[in-house]
This record gives sequence, structure tokens and C-alpha cells, in this order.
Amino acid sequence: MTQASVVLALVVVTALAFDFTNGFHDTANAMATTIATKALKPKTAVALSGILNLVGAFLSVQVALTVTNAVVKIQNSNGTPKAALVSDGGSALLLIILAGLVGGIVWNLLTWLLGLPSSSSHALFGGLIGATIAGLGWAGVNWNGDGSKLDGVVGKVLLPAILSPAIAGFVALVGTWIIHRITAGLAARYTDQGFKWGQIGSASLVSLAHGTNDAQKTMGVITLALIASGDWTDTKNIPFWVKVACALAIALGTYLGGWRIIRTLGKGLVDIAPAQGMAAQSSSAAVILASSHLGFALSTTHVATGSVLGSGLGRPGAQVRWRVAGRMVTAWLITLPAAGVVGAAMWGIGHLIGGLAGALVVFAVLVAAAIGVWFRSRRAPVGSHNVNDDWDPVAAEEPVPDAVPVHAADVPATLPTPELTKGRV
Amino acid sequence: MHNLGFALDGAWRVLLAGLLLGAGLPVLFALGIRSLAWADAGGVVRPAGKTLGYGLFAVVILGVLLGITFIVATGFGKALSFEHIYPTIVPKH
Repeated sequence: MTQASVVLALVVVTALAFDFTNGFHDTANAMATTIATKALKPKTAVALSGILNLVGAFLSVQVALTVTNAVVKIQNSNGTPKAALVSDGGSALLLIILAGLVGGIVWNLLTWLLGLPSSSSHALFGGLIGATIAGLGWAGVNWNGDGSKLDGVVGKVLLPAILSPAIAGFVALVGTWIIHRITAGLAARYTDQGFKWGQIGSASLVSLAHGTNDAQKTMGVITLALIASGDWTDTKNIPFWVKVACALAIALGTYLGGWRIIRTLGKGLVDIAPAQGMAAQSSSAAVILASSHLGFALSTTHVATGSVLGSGLGRPGAQVRWRVAGRMVTAWLITLPAAGVVGAAMWGIGHLIGGLAGALVVFAVLVAAAIGVWFRSRRAPVGSHNVNDDWDPVAAEEPVPDAVPVHAADVPATLPTPELTKGRV
Repeated sequence: MHNLGFALDGAWRVLLAGLLLGAGLPVLFALGIRSLAWADAGGVVRPAGKTLGYGLFAVVILGVLLGITFIVATGFGKALSFEHIYPTIVPKH
């Protein structure tokens, strides 16, 4: 095994790790409301979403090889890497990709730890932008496109991030408001059962669309790395093993379930009733599919969050926790620069040490960060068992049974006390 | 600034489609539920309510099938065209 192939292997493993975080970070987008309204049991929901992501990933025959072109200039328009970056056997390009992926993963892990839904695509783009600025300078970034279409950091990342939650939120608000008008006064046996199926259907659509879109991005990145190192030349197809590996990574990630994020989106932002859940999920599904049809790339996460928020505003008497919403928006704002800083730092480390050792150190930093985040998360674990607990701890503690007998003093002292309290607790 | 123009142009189309499918279909679904509830309310059987209710559900299911068709078509590098009003699968340009 040569040094170059070890670096390539590190890039592939890191890309699959990113795909995996992409999966568990985004389970909430499809399933948070379905789990919160108990339309599906938590485990069933993540299993369904995982399977649909797997199916979706295999459905994408189209090659998303030019995925990085939206934000950085490391590829030609036909998908091949820029010649200047592969003149040394591809190691310059591989380092940029590796550093960018690490930036994206670290940001995904941190936001997961905080239970904040943030866009995985933005994290990946942020990492790549940071690594590219460090490696190629400001001119290496596609800031504004060439004016012929919606493109560049502004067109593909910033503007959609502002517009998509607003659009999805408005659609969900209108839907929720009308549905509540229509079904007001109906017995729960009609509405709950009906809306349960509505939610499952719309959540399934979101999962399937997620599998086709997001797995493709990692497939494109891995194929780009293979082309850079000279292990693949075809720009019209991707290796079959890449497709299988990416599909499995995103499906497994989804099945693992980012419970912290599911909890924030399902319980933290608003208290969701079944009708709201259906309105929110349908809004997400329609906005994601419509925007994808019109070539207006939106982040699934921003759409899903906007929808949940809108459904909270649309139901009469529902309460939106604006503090939680504020934290999410803050996370969105700093996703790109934060992942970028990590990406740039990783490129710096890798470049300074150089060669195989540099790539190994970058990978070691990633592993250390992942282990650190994992141990920190164990202090307050969130899983399928407590994902639906009340958000405000005060409300959860209210029904404390009064175990102490009120007239304890009146009872003859000869009676053993355990007899007294039996049946009361 | 050209990006802002493209984005706003895309945004209102997405909003329109979103309202039509993302709010419209759930509203039809809710009307379907209302019809079914009306169909056997108060001990009287009303077949019209059942027919209307399931008719509305059928429209919603067609909408969902359109969504699935779109996802699958996109995955295979095709696109949906609405130029004949009813959707047809065409090669992506």
C-alpha cells in the first residue's frame, strides 16, 4: 500500500462518517413530529425512516459529482478535478476534501450534542469553504456564481437559508389553521386515527426524498477523491461499492436516530398535536419536493424546522418557545463559518505536517473530537426511552404522589408503618 | 445581486406549489375526515358522506403518488413536466 492510497482510504472513511452523521442529524426532519404525537413508536419511526433512506439512496442513479461546484472551485464543470490540484498525485485535493469533511463532521457532532437541528449540507459546505480558503485563498471560493443561475455561497447557501424556513413556516401555518377550523369539535377517534396516517405518509415522503438527495452528495465527494487519486476515471458513473457504502452509512445513521435533535424539534419548539404534525410534515414534503423540482436547493433541516414553527403559530392557543427557536437560528447563522474555521484549521495542520503523517493527524483529531463529544453526551443521555418527556422539568415533576399519611400522628404507634403506606404509593 | 433575483423568483414558485400541495392536500384530508365523521354522526347513516370522504382521500393519495413519482424520476435523472397539465416524465434538460 502506498502513502497515497492510505490517504485516499482515510478520505473515504471520513466521507462515510460524514454520511453517517448526516443520517442521524436529519432523522428529526422526517420523524420528530411523528414521534412527538405518538403516531409511531420512537423505534418504529427511526426504522421506517432508515429503510426509506436506504431505498432512496439506491434510487439515485444520477451522478452528483459536481456537488462541490456550488461553493468552491476545486472541480471543472464536467466533474473532473482541477489539473493544478492533482499534479502531485492528487494529495493537494485530497487534503482539502479531508479537512472539509472533518469540519463538517465536528460541527454536526457539536450541534447534535446541543440538540440543535442544523443543516448537514451547510456544515459540509462550510468545512469545504474553510479548507479551500486555507489551501487556495479567497479566490478558490465560488462566492456569487457567474450570474447565469442561482449559484455560489450566496445563491446556494445564504439566500435559501433565509427563505426556506419562511416559506415552509407560512405553508404549515396556513395548513394548520384551516385544518383546525375544519376539524374543530370532532371526536378524537376520527381525527387522531386519520391524522396518524397522514403523518406517517408525509414523513415517509420526506425520508425517501432525503435518501435520494443527501446520500448522493457523499457519493459525489468520494468519487471525486477517487478520480483525484487516479483510481477512477468515469465522470458519468460512480463505483457500485461507493453507492452501497453511502446508502448503508446514511441508513444506519438515520436508524441510530439523533434523539437529542428529535427531542428539540418534536417537544422543545412547540407542543405538537396530531393535526399540526400532519400539517407540518406535509408542508415539509411539499416544499422540499417543489424546490427540488424547480432547482431551488433548500436545506431539509431549515424546511422542517420552519414547518414545525409555522404549525405552532397556526394552532389557536399553541405556544412557541422562542428561546429554543432563537438558539436554532443562532446555530444556523454560525454553521457555515464555524465548520469553515474547523476545516481551515484541519487543512493548516495537515499541510504543516505534510503527507501521510499530516492526514493521519487530521484523522486522529477527528476521532478524538468524536470520542470527546460522545463522553460528554453520556452525562445527560437522550434516547428512545425519554425522547418524549415533557420539555419543562417543572411540568414533569408536578404529579408527585403524596406518600406521607396525613394523619400519621393519630395512628397507634404499635402498628408497623409499612402496613400504613401500603397501597398508597 | 442577480442571485437575489433568481432566489426570489424561485421562492414564490416554491411558496405557490407549497401552499397548493403542502397545505391544500392536508386540508382535503381534513375535509375527508370531517365527511366520514358526518357520515355516521347521530346514529344516521349517510352514504354520501362516506363517498365524499373516500373520494377526498383518493385525491390526497394521488398527490402522494405524484410526490413518489417525482422522487423516483429525479433519482433516475428524469424530470416531471406539467406542460400538458397532467404530469409526464421527461428527460432532464
